[in-house]
Amino acid sequence: MNLRNHLLVGLLALVTLVGGTAYADQLADIKKKGEIVVGVLGTDEPNSFVDPKTREIVGYDVDLAKAIARKLGIKLTLKQLAVAARIPELEQGRVDLLAASLTHNKEREAKVDFSLTTFVTGQKVIVRKDSNVTAVPQLAGKKVLTVKGGTQEPNLRKAVPTAEVVTFETTGQAFVALQQGKGVGYVNDEVSILADYAKLGPAQKDFVILPENLSIEPLALGIRKGEPALKKVVDDTLRELEKSGEAEKLFFKWYGNDSKIKFQARPFKIESDKVDS
Amino acid sequence: MTPLFDLDLLLTGTYHDWLVAGLITSLSLTGISLALALPLAILIALIRLSPVKVLQWSGFAFVEAIRNVPLLAHMLFWYFGAPELLPTALREWLYARNIEATSAIIALTLYTAAYMSEDVRSGIRSIPGQQFEAARALGFSFVASMRLVVLPQALRVTIPPLISQTLNLWKDTSIATVIGVAELMYQAAKVESASFRSFEAFAFASACYLGMSLLITGAAGWYQGRFPVRAA
Repeated sequence: MNLRNHLLVGLLALVTLVGGTAYADQLADIKKKGEIVVGVLGTDEPNSFVDPKTREIVGYDVDLAKAIARKLGIKLTLKQLAVAARIPELEQGRVDLLAASLTHNKEREAKVDFSLTTFVTGQKVIVRKDSNVTAVPQLAGKKVLTVKGGTQEPNLRKAVPTAEVVTFETTGQAFVALQQGKGVGYVNDEVSILADYAKLGPAQKDFVILPENLSIEPLALGIRKGEPALKKVVDDTLRELEKSGEAEKLFFKWYGNDSKIKFQARPFKIESDKVDS
Repeated sequence: MTPLFDLDLLLTGTYHDWLVAGLITSLSLTGISLALALPLAILIALIRLSPVKVLQWSGFAFVEAIRNVPLLAHMLFWYFGAPELLPTALREWLYARNIEATSAIIALTLYTAAYMSEDVRSGIRSIPGQQFEAARALGFSFVASMRLVVLPQALRVTIPPLISQTLNLWKDTSIATVIGVAELMYQAAKVESASFRSFEAFAFASACYLGMSLLITGAAGWYQGRFPVRAA
């Protein structure tokens, strides 16, 4: 073989190698790297948020991610994402898994795969008392605040098409805008609203959480499309957590009496990856 | 099977309406902010060139304080911070209206005025000082010398850099998305999260920004050809 052929063979080998890695099974890649990169929000208590004492990101989603890394015997790296960036980051391979208060719905199934449902919450509206709004339909024509890129805005539009929705980069900013009176209501998952409500302290008397659910939101971990091996490990880990009672412990750790939310019962089990809508 | 690039989505229907509404909002932000920033910029330039030391310093402080802080911080300050300092009645009156756009216009106006005032100032300085002195010697006041002798010449030098600042202003309106102003980037993101058609939504926004920017650049080129700077 002359030099040119050597180069050619080298090039071919390189192409096969690069192409090969790109198309290999993601689980194998993760194991080889010895690290799983999990996308979290870090701004959504109690799913993932920064612990003011340790400055570390902790929460229910984070503990689930930890369990998966432990099962695989590899290092866990958390990557903080904006709500609107979650699915694009997963699709483009910048994170291996999403544990980011991600709603599982039929529409999104075209884009990503979902693990077993890890949490079920309703989406609700908290309003200022001085707005005199007592039910969701009364939000017609009123300014309602929420976060960009989640299911909150579409759900509100479905329930109250004439509401004027204003969206922000984080749920925190939207909630501050509500507190400042820049809108009459704020939409989010019920658990997040309860956590925000708890932080209001004495100002709680000026706000009311409307009883109706805008929607029921099954939350799940997000997996890139067409990675059955990774999905199996994730689902197996979740099933084991459920069976050992560990999942229930995690629920009460983040949502129970010691938390700001104070749920007394756990209204769901981690068992299915099917959703109704 | 949806096509790779769904042009219909941009030409008709709800998403089209959202994007066009965003474009109109972005254009309005640019127009209103420009109309407010221009006179403010001239005022600040004159303050900086005035013979009174205190005025010179306050003009300098204004320009530096604004130019050295990123626009994003200005936006968040004028939306989340400043209005909270207003008396309650005025605040509630303001919040019941379009506080998002109002804050964005204040931030964009001040930011653009700071940059434009420097362009105006250097334009004025390009006119030889003897002209101003001659005007004063003939009995014109400071303001009259500026208005009748210096500014008409200075503006001719200043228009091209001012057009270039307008181009920056046009692109800067996109930052207003962070305070919930429904401008072009905001609407593109809304279309993206409602339809998952990111490519189409941002292609529309990019085409609008590019098209409008090219028009503004073209205007600068035309002006320079039509009104060349005269040798002083």
